[in-house]
Amino acid sequence: MKFDTIIIGGGLSGLVCGISLQKGGRKCAIVSAGQNALNFSSGSFGFLSRLQDGTEVTEPLKAIPSLNEEHPYSKIGVEKVSRYAKNVKSFFSECGISLYGDDTKNSYMITPTGNVKNTWMAMDEICLFPSKDFKVGDKALIVNMQGYLDFNTQFIASSLENKGTACRIESVKLDSMERLRKNPSEMRAVNIARVMDNEQERTKFISTVKSLLADEDVIILPAVFGLKDKDDISKIKASLGIKTLFVGTMPPSIPGVRAQMLLKSAFEEAGGSFLIGDEAKNVALSDGRVNAIYTENLGNVALEADNFVLATGSFFSKGLVATPNRIYEPLFDLDVDFDEDRNNWYDPKFFNKQNYMGYGVITDSSLKAVKGGKSVDNLYVVGSVLSGMNSLYEYCGSGVSIISAMFVADSILGR
Amino acid sequence: MINNEFDVIIVGGGITGAGTARDCALRGLKVLLIERHDIATGATGRNHGLLHSGARYAVTDKDSASECIKENMILKKIARHCVDDTSGFFITLPEDDLDYQAKFAKACQESGINAEIVDPKEAIRQEPSINPSIIGAVRVPDGSVDPFRLCLSNIVDAKAHGATVLLYSEVIDFIKESDTIKGVKVLDHVSGQTTGYYAPLTVNAAGIWGHHIAELAGVTIGMFPAKGALLIFAHRVNSIVINRCRKPANADILVPGDTVCVIGTTSTHVPFEECDDMHVTPDEVDLLMKEGAKLAPVLASTRILRAYAGVRPLVSADNDPSGRNISRGIVLLDHEKRDGLKGFISITGGKLMTYRLMGEWAADLVCKKLGIDKKCVTAVTPLPGSETGSLEEVSKKFWTNPTTAQKATVGRLGDQASKVSFSDLYDHSLVCECEEVSAGEVNRAIDKLDVHNLVDLRRRTRVGMGTCQGELCACRSAGLLSKAHNCTDKAKEDLSKFMNERWKGMYPIAWGETLRESAYTQWVYSGVFGMDEK
Amino acid sequence: MNMQEKNESSNNFEQCIKCTICTAYCPVVPVNPIFPGPKQAGPDGERLRLKNAYFFDEALKYCMNCKRCDVACPSGVKISDIIQSARIDYRTHGPKLRDVMLASTDFMGTMARPFAPIVNAVTGAKPAKVVLDKVMAIDHRRIFPKYSGQSFEGWFRRKAAPLQAQFTNQISYFHGCYVNYNYPQLGKDFVTVMNALGFGVNLLDHEKCCGVAMISSGMPEQAKKHAIHNVSVLQKSVDKKHTVVTTSSTCTLTMRDEYPDLLKVDNSSVREDIVLFSKFIYNLVDSGKVKLVFKNNFKAKIAYHVPCHMEKLGWGIFSAGLMKMIPGVEFSLLDSNCCGIAGTYGFKKENYEASQAIGKPLFEQINRISPDFVASDCETCKWQIEMSTKFKVKHPVSILAEALDLEATAAANK
Repeated sequence: MKFDTIIIGGGLSGLVCGISLQKGGRKCAIVSAGQNALNFSSGSFGFLSRLQDGTEVTEPLKAIPSLNEEHPYSKIGVEKVSRYAKNVKSFFSECGISLYGDDTKNSYMITPTGNVKNTWMAMDEICLFPSKDFKVGDKALIVNMQGYLDFNTQFIASSLENKGTACRIESVKLDSMERLRKNPSEMRAVNIARVMDNEQERTKFISTVKSLLADEDVIILPAVFGLKDKDDISKIKASLGIKTLFVGTMPPSIPGVRAQMLLKSAFEEAGGSFLIGDEAKNVALSDGRVNAIYTENLGNVALEADNFVLATGSFFSKGLVATPNRIYEPLFDLDVDFDEDRNNWYDPKFFNKQNYMGYGVITDSSLKAVKGGKSVDNLYVVGSVLSGMNSLYEYCGSGVSIISAMFVADSILGR
Repeated sequence: MINNEFDVIIVGGGITGAGTARDCALRGLKVLLIERHDIATGATGRNHGLLHSGARYAVTDKDSASECIKENMILKKIARHCVDDTSGFFITLPEDDLDYQAKFAKACQESGINAEIVDPKEAIRQEPSINPSIIGAVRVPDGSVDPFRLCLSNIVDAKAHGATVLLYSEVIDFIKESDTIKGVKVLDHVSGQTTGYYAPLTVNAAGIWGHHIAELAGVTIGMFPAKGALLIFAHRVNSIVINRCRKPANADILVPGDTVCVIGTTSTHVPFEECDDMHVTPDEVDLLMKEGAKLAPVLASTRILRAYAGVRPLVSADNDPSGRNISRGIVLLDHEKRDGLKGFISITGGKLMTYRLMGEWAADLVCKKLGIDKKCVTAVTPLPGSETGSLEEVSKKFWTNPTTAQKATVGRLGDQASKVSFSDLYDHSLVCECEEVSAGEVNRAIDKLDVHNLVDLRRRTRVGMGTCQGELCACRSAGLLSKAHNCTDKAKEDLSKFMNERWKGMYPIAWGETLRESAYTQWVYSGVFGMDEK
Repeated sequence: MNMQEKNESSNNFEQCIKCTICTAYCPVVPVNPIFPGPKQAGPDGERLRLKNAYFFDEALKYCMNCKRCDVACPSGVKISDIIQSARIDYRTHGPKLRDVMLASTDFMGTMARPFAPIVNAVTGAKPAKVVLDKVMAIDHRRIFPKYSGQSFEGWFRRKAAPLQAQFTNQISYFHGCYVNYNYPQLGKDFVTVMNALGFGVNLLDHEKCCGVAMISSGMPEQAKKHAIHNVSVLQKSVDKKHTVVTTSSTCTLTMRDEYPDLLKVDNSSVREDIVLFSKFIYNLVDSGKVKLVFKNNFKAKIAYHVPCHMEKLGWGIFSAGLMKMIPGVEFSLLDSNCCGIAGTYGFKKENYEASQAIGKPLFEQINRISPDFVASDCETCKWQIEMSTKFKVKHPVSILAEALDLEATAAANK
């Protein structure tokens, strides 16, 4: 089967690249072995929250020159990065995802544990604040579903109280939840979101919340709404009539799942073929070029294309694999930047920077893959599988995924 | 308000202290047990979980072996819910000396251990994970034991018979009157207060830290801290214990325990200072993996869950200060006779599974010194939770259609499971999905079982001990703890500590799936939760 | 020695990193509170079951084996296999009579055929359905597929077989129970299309039901017997270098994957030669080996539903690709949503409501789009959609048979 471009990996970077290429008139296929990390996102995109030495970043675009030359942002160049950054909102808006935030300045969000996270843009219902010292209101009513342990009302309340908001916590018992609990099974965000997709159930819940309201000026709810239809969010806000903030839950993340589904639809509606639940297994390389790849499901049917994009993600998605002695890229066996001494992969303190998060596939300045020291002419690399950055410590994973994908799409389109 | 006077004070909340406390309490003594951290934080919580048949010592130390087999059979009766009667094999690999097997089997029989030489093919049929190249096998009545459950049961029973248990309380000094110990000065780490407690007799059951306790009292016990490292594999690869039939050496026992199996162990002399913060080295990991794969080849491709290490409280023979002549048996020291110090005895050495006998010896001496004529009944009195009946029988006794979580609770608590509330929605919520621990069980542990933090909770409920190593349950538990103790900041700090503690056991073996899991967990806690922000 | 280079476990259950994405995409979880979800039923449960067989949860029977959990899993855990294997290994009792009946399609088909009109009238009649409901717990609302008076094989041997030798290329056709007992027309369409492309069709040397319903209904030994038989029969075809082409997506998945994974029947010598017709034909067209010539006046608005097992196979792209080749077709791909019937699952009274609730978003989308008809490769999806919406479902092979200018195609492929 022949395509113009084949993208291996259906996560944030693969989808953004695919949508960009389809818009540019190219026929693409995405091969995706299972769902991706977007399903666990915080509901926000981080662009660059910390420099490589740990300094906090408030203006990410201005901070790029401080990054070393191996960083994907450095390779792409601050001028192009800025240009793409400006386009992010409209790109996602066309896919049905509303992003809030300022593309030149970082903002802050409340996390599921009530911490305050320096991030860039938030999706849809997740709220952002321009500075760390924000106050959500004078009095807040935090409402949870009874029996739902993944929305940590205590932690959130404590955090808001430290910022000067008095909090009252209530929990609502829903018959539909009781049904869900007949046999103790996991009560995860998605199960609840599906119940809340039902108009009757949602209306019942919201009217109960309304009846609990006393003299509070802000309501805080878990982000478990609008899985199928984003408009539910605005309907809820309208119905409650006062300021309503949604805070994320423990994963899976509803805004993340929704974003994933919308991006996939956008890609397919633009004419792309999404091969879900399929894993790229073998490749055919010759003369420094990729000719075809072979997948688990398609067997000996070759997937051929002029260009290939590796968007396989990091360890979570098996884009990188670790054995006791080495870290490698399993599909093409591309050159990977890692430390030979395993002891250096980890910091004994869990919350410190972990070096292994910074390893990845080596690329040249055009983000083309490098194998045996030589660039592979028609194989580009995007997203978290890239080397040169520590996506968690710097909190630049989403930003790099989006920007590198747009950059590579443009390169393939000859722009 | 507790009265500060007791019949006996026991220092150390490991299995030895717990067993001694129980024995004394069952004889009607007013007991105070003091533990500086949580129960089972020393060697008790860091061993193999092997219920020895004693076979391992039969050739070199018949007395130790006979002691073991007697206790083995007693524990199988009084601690049913803590013990898994798996039986065990001693296998001979081609590189081992097959002649040793006959000597071994004979020595076992002479010690009262039912050792049966079995055809290698039959052994493999019974335990398919065994190395197919074995040339010999002997079947023995080994088993596995859950040390947390065992320790907790003893403490619960001691309390039920009037004992007072103080956790997070450290003995910082003794109250002495010339040559007699009158009591102890205790620092409560939670409140910060120091209090004095009095008793005519104090028992030093502090494991390797007994060396320090003895020093505080003014006497010396030569101890030899021997570190042992172990690896936990992600699932129960074998259902029968696999040992190597040769002179005891490193990494030659693979023990199935609950949902996992454990390979161990090593032996390295470490300084006392290191005993409070043990790390597993890459060399130790290497050794354990290689030797383990010789017992069961499938281990070479089985996911490793975590690595941990503990320190054996070995006692040097009294007249050998170099510490090389190690006594492996139970050591009961009457400091009045040995050092001229009244009111103080030490019980140490021994093994996890001879704890009851150690408790008996110690309690016997305590009673003798106090002039109390009461006999030991611990060998015939079942521990709370130890119930007759299989998992199915006990589950069905309490619930008509037991859910998976209820079955799991019975698996952990035995007949005490009926005390866990499953009455409403909230109780049923699953806190730990890997090990099926409900919110009801967690709340009860927080409420009734002296839980101060998440690590304590883990010891009592297995929360965080599954393959996810606390990924999700840690946060949920922190929420419950925060509600119960009405303190969010502490709960959050505790959550950080818990994640660090889990990570400590993961990074020595963080490759493959364990690295994927760690990456995911770190993304969730630092990336999504933002808990790395200062 | 391979020391920790790769971590492996049975069905990869240990590779699970507890992300719970499988539960997020399981169609049963939101509608049936008793089903514990794929993660708990699968990899979580496996660790507990290894500890004690008592941990086996009867509620695993609510798993539809739709395999959407497998498709969603980022760790490659074969969740559906873990669940189905557990149901086989840990079951405590045999199947109910009802389940035996629903699963024994060959037997039921053979018995029903001579009395087809009566059987059809009876299974269509309300009183009989009430009896089936009360006595056998087969839900009275479910519409039974009608039995055909003449089997496909019967027709083929009399009418089609003599004409097949003339073609240079030869293939074998695994038709499956549905085509044989209920809807031979589909088989006839298949032969028509293959002949037009220059391929002669052969029956297998007595195929048996693929056994998929037996696996899920607690009859794995019978399923294994069928599997062993079918593999030997397929082997005969492969020995003759005749690719075995199929029209049912589920039969295909069962023979290729369930035989080795669940029933432990080795099919490695035949697996790659079992091909669903749309993959077979699409690749022939793509590589230029055959030509398709379509009628000028064939116009249709088609909504394509990818059956769950098709999504697992990953071959929806071929059926979609074929339909998109037809010039007069306005093609839309329906959102990925299980129809809810899952073979015989939806017939069982205890599953009926869940079944309909699962398929609801699909039915609503179909009603909204209002196509001329729906396309799908799976026969049970067809029954479900026709019962639950006002639209008919056609198999892509039948669509091709209708849309092709058969004479011109035959001429182009000489």
